[in-house]
Amino acid sequence: MGANRCRDPIIVVEDLYINFYTYAGIVKAIDGVSFCIERGETYCLVGETGCGKSVTSRALTRLILPPGKIERGRILYYPEPGKVVDIMKLSEEELRMIRGDEITYIFQDPGTALDPLYTIGYQISETMLVHGYINRIKEGISKAIQLLKETLIPDSEQRAKSYPHELSGGMKQRAVIATSLANRPKLIIADEPTTALDATVQAQIMELLRNLKKQRGLTILLITHNMGLVAEMCDRVGVMYAGQLVEEAPTEELFQNPLHPYTRALLRAVPNPLKKIEKLESIPGTVPNLIYPPPGCRFHPRCAHVMDTCRRQKPMFIRVGDKHYVSCWLYSRR
Amino acid sequence: MAEEVYEKKVLDRISDALIDGLVSIIDKVKPGWRVKNRGRIEEWKLMLYALNRSPVGLLGTSLVVLFIILAIAGPFIAPVSYDTQIIFCDRDARLAPPRTTVQIPDNPFCRKLGLKPGNFTMLLGGDDYGRDLWSRVLYGARTSLVVAIIVMAVGPWIGVLLGLVAGYYGGKIDELLMRITDVFLVFPGLILAIAFSAVLPYRIQDVLSVHPLLADVMRVLFAIKPENEPQLASLLSVIVALWLVWWPFYARLVRGMVLSAKENTYVEAAKALGVPSWKIMFKHILPNIAGPIIVFYTMDFGGVILTEAGLSFLGLGAVPPLADWGRIIYDGSRYFPDAWWLVFFPGLFIFLTVLGFNLLGDALRDVLDPRMRRSIEFKIKKRVVVEEVSSGS
Repeated sequence: MGANRCRDPIIVVEDLYINFYTYAGIVKAIDGVSFCIERGETYCLVGETGCGKSVTSRALTRLILPPGKIERGRILYYPEPGKVVDIMKLSEEELRMIRGDEITYIFQDPGTALDPLYTIGYQISETMLVHGYINRIKEGISKAIQLLKETLIPDSEQRAKSYPHELSGGMKQRAVIATSLANRPKLIIADEPTTALDATVQAQIMELLRNLKKQRGLTILLITHNMGLVAEMCDRVGVMYAGQLVEEAPTEELFQNPLHPYTRALLRAVPNPLKKIEKLESIPGTVPNLIYPPPGCRFHPRCAHVMDTCRRQKPMFIRVGDKHYVSCWLYSRR
Repeated sequence: MAEEVYEKKVLDRISDALIDGLVSIIDKVKPGWRVKNRGRIEEWKLMLYALNRSPVGLLGTSLVVLFIILAIAGPFIAPVSYDTQIIFCDRDARLAPPRTTVQIPDNPFCRKLGLKPGNFTMLLGGDDYGRDLWSRVLYGARTSLVVAIIVMAVGPWIGVLLGLVAGYYGGKIDELLMRITDVFLVFPGLILAIAFSAVLPYRIQDVLSVHPLLADVMRVLFAIKPENEPQLASLLSVIVALWLVWWPFYARLVRGMVLSAKENTYVEAAKALGVPSWKIMFKHILPNIAGPIIVFYTMDFGGVILTEAGLSFLGLGAVPPLADWGRIIYDGSRYFPDAWWLVFFPGLFIFLTVLGFNLLGDALRDVLDPRMRRSIEFKIKKRVVVEEVSSGS
């Protein structure tokens, strides 16, 4: 289902279910998500806080910590066209060799993503060390400085010797990006990489990511709730709501022709610089409790177009246009 | 703008000299180290300044340093050995080892010096065998220090290791390890240690007879005479017993801290970068929670010394004629309060040593707190700047 949406996928996720076993009950955090990422594209996952974007991204290398558990689903990784690795069948050790080498992460808050006790250079070198590219931390320092240069950190020799607290937020995020580039990454998963940064730094970081992608031929999975960033960066967008993928379309198509009521509401909730300031809309209601998710379509309690079917049956994820998919009963009669 | 100069006290200058000396030694071994670690050296100095500004910490440090000096030098500076019975012939005090004293020289003027309060021959007095209490207390310091070091070198680390594993992996492993810890925690440590140290000597005797080298090393460490080597087993059994009961607190402490430390993004980031679990535990989690462990660990030296003395007092551990603070008190308690010095002086030494370690640990809490160091740095710098401004105007 997920695979045939992409011509040359780098990663395919099919029918992913993830539960969190908390004391309050079983949180059905991810409920049947399927998507694929084309090699070399920038794919975006957008949605409200808690909709499962981050969990989905972590699941790509099975980085789900207890009490979370991947219930079922298939995650296929294609390191090269035609070569396939089943992530779900790998041992912990094999996964470890992929993490930080071919698939790397950039986390939301650079302030806490670096260990305060080690220098930047050490932390970049450690990544190379654990993947066997170097034998001692020292050997990696010159490469680390090179990487810091590549991520446009001024005075990189000095910065490699700096501790995280001596760097600004933007510089820390650059250092984190340098860490994720240390080996031979193919897919970079950027989980809200600029949320903790201010707007000007945000633009710089995004520019940096875009350039690095071009130079190194990377694939990027960008997770964000910033629609402006989506418009600027992404080739295709997946909209998530309450643990489900509700719509997927190329960026332009999604902004011009949003189909799912949630996507429409989401777009109306974001200020549009091209239009005159009108009153921003909010989506009525709150994100559902995922321990007791609403039956049928999970969006139906907040949906303006709710029908009888919505309350009873989960809608299928159907194709409505070229590369445009939606999961809503409004479109399934066609 | 005036150059920022620290307003230093005499102690600060001594600290500077200490650190500078240490740094120049390291710099000789690893050239260029001084330049690279300038910030770290500055932090070390600030740590000592912080200690210098805490009277309690200084008291603790001096007590601990004094104890360590006594324990190391004790057997060398002691007037006589721990088992020497002093024989008094008229005005001549002569020394004799214990078993020979039965045959008091055929001199009608000679007699064994029994329970005597402090005098010029025996500084702190003598016990019922005529042994010098001061010498025995010095040997006792050695016993306490060696026991404390060997116990603390192993016991707590078992707990740290188990706590790390339990906290990091969580789930069933955590449940299992913590329930085992609970089982140990529900018994008072002393009771458990009594049980262990009562059972262990025979087994340890076997081990010692198989490994004479181990016995020799231990004998030298404890400064025991070769003929007292059989008495080693019961001392060592106390050590092993304390290993067995000394880890549960650490397991609990470390597990709790790991649980909060592993939520840090850098732990997840390390995982996402493919850093192996053991490396995350030991390089990224443990160093980040080290502060409170160091504080607790320092205080615990006092705890071990106290427990060991308690066990000896109960007749476990050091056996006669070995010198041990708890044992001296136990042997002397029969003559209390007439021969009060037999109980008082060893008790005083135990008290001061334990107090010293506790005060030091308490001061370390402040010294290891970076905010404390910043505030001291700020205070020193501010005062200097203010003074220069006022003198300039």
